Amino acid sequence: MRFRTRAMLASSLLAVGLVAFAPHASAQEGEVGPSEAETEEAAHHLEEIAEENGGTHADVECIPILAEGGSVDDCQESPSPILPATDELLWGTLSFLVLFFLMRKFAYPAIKEGMEGRSERIRSDLAAAETAKAEAQGVLDSYRSDLSGAKAEAGRIIEEARQAADALKKDQEARLQTELADVRTRATADIEAAKAQAIADLKGEVAQLAVGAASVVVNKNLDVATQTQLIEDYINQVATKR
Amino acid sequence: MTAERSQTYASSLLGVARSEGAVTDVEDELFRFARLLEGNDDLRTTLTDTGLPVSRRQQIVEDLLGGRANPVTTSLISMVVGTGRAHDLPAIIDELVRLSASEADREVAEVRSAIELTDDQKQRLTSALEAATGKKVELKVIIDPTVLGGLVAQVGDTVIDGSVKTRLQQLKTAF
Repeated sequence: MRFRTRAMLASSLLAVGLVAFAPHASAQEGEVGPSEAETEEAAHHLEEIAEENGGTHADVECIPILAEGGSVDDCQESPSPILPATDELLWGTLSFLVLFFLMRKFAYPAIKEGMEGRSERIRSDLAAAETAKAEAQGVLDSYRSDLSGAKAEAGRIIEEARQAADALKKDQEARLQTELADVRTRATADIEAAKAQAIADLKGEVAQLAVGAASVVVNKNLDVATQTQLIEDYINQVATKR
Repeated sequence: MTAERSQTYASSLLGVARSEGAVTDVEDELFRFARLLEGNDDLRTTLTDTGLPVSRRQQIVEDLLGGRANPVTTSLISMVVGTGRAHDLPAIIDELVRLSASEADREVAEVRSAIELTDDQKQRLTSALEAATGKKVELKVIIDPTVLGGLVAQVGDTVIDGSVKTRLQQLKTAF
C-alpha cells in the first residue's frame, strides 16, 4: 500500500516536471529584433489601450502575439489539445498537490480504515462463512449419518417386525393345529362317549324290558307252591352255609 | 329323638309287656307295626300330624289294631302316639326288640318274605341262621311283597339274600 502511494506521488511529480520545464519551440529559435523588454513594454502598453477602448479579453491576449511579430491567425490559433497552458499547469499541479495532501492526510486514512474494515469484515464474513460451511457440512454429515442410522434402524425394525409376524403366524398356526387336534380328540371322545352311553342306555332298556318281562313271568308263576319251594330252598341253602 | 330317649321308651314298653305276660306276641306285633309304619307314608303322616287331636290319632290306632292285635300292643302304641312320639315309634320298637333279644342273649334276625312262614319253617330257618352266623337269633318275620319270592335275612351286619327280587336285579345288572 505504501509502495503504491509512493509510486503515484513520483509519477505525478514527473508529469509536472516534464510539462513545466519543457522548452518552448519558439524560444529555441534565434531571431533578430527588438529586445525582449521593449517588446514586453510595448505589448503591455497596447493591452492598456485595448482595455481602455473596450477590447475583449481575446483582443488583449492577441496584442502580445502581434507585438512579437505574429499574425492575426496566430491569435486565433486553438490551444494544444495535449499541453495545457503553463499557468493552468502550475495551478493544476498545485491544486493536485494540495488535494493529494489533503486526501493523503484526511481521506486516505479514512478510506484505508474503511477498506481495512471492509477487508476485515469480508475476512470475518469469509471466516464465518467457512465456519458456517463447516458447521453446515458437519450438520449435513450428521444428518447423513442420522439418515443412514435411521435407514438401518428402520430396516432393523422392519426385519424384527417381519420376524415377529412370522413367529406369530407360526405360533398361531401351531395353536390352531393344537386346537384342531384337541377339537378332533374331544369330538372323537364325545362320539365314543355318546356311543358308549347309547349302548349302555340300550343295554339298560333291554335289561329293563327283559327284567320287566321276567318279573311278569315270575309273578305269574310265583304261586304258593313255588313260594314255599323258594323258602325251603333258602332254608336248606342257609343250613348248608357253615 | 336321641338314642338315650329311645332306649328309655323301649325299656319302659318292654317292662309293661313283660308285666302283662305277653312279651313274645307283643314284641312281634310291635315289630310288624313298626315295619308297617315305615312302609306306609299315609299312616305315618296321619299319626305324626300334630294338627290332629291326640284322641283322634289314638282312635286311628285303636281302629287299626283293635281286635287284630294283643290289647297290650294296641295300648303301648296308642300311648306312644299320645305322647307325640309317633315319628320315633319304629326306632323305639327296634330298640325294644334289640333290648329283649340282648337280655335273652340273642340277636334279632330280621327276615323278609313275600308270604307268611309256617312255624316249622320259622323253626328250621332259626336253626339254619344260628348255624350260619354262630349266634342265637330271635326271628322277626316281615311280610314284604316287594321281595317277590324267597327270603332276605339280616342278622346284625350280615345279610343273606335269597330273594327273587335280588336275583332279577342281578340279572338286570348282568346285562
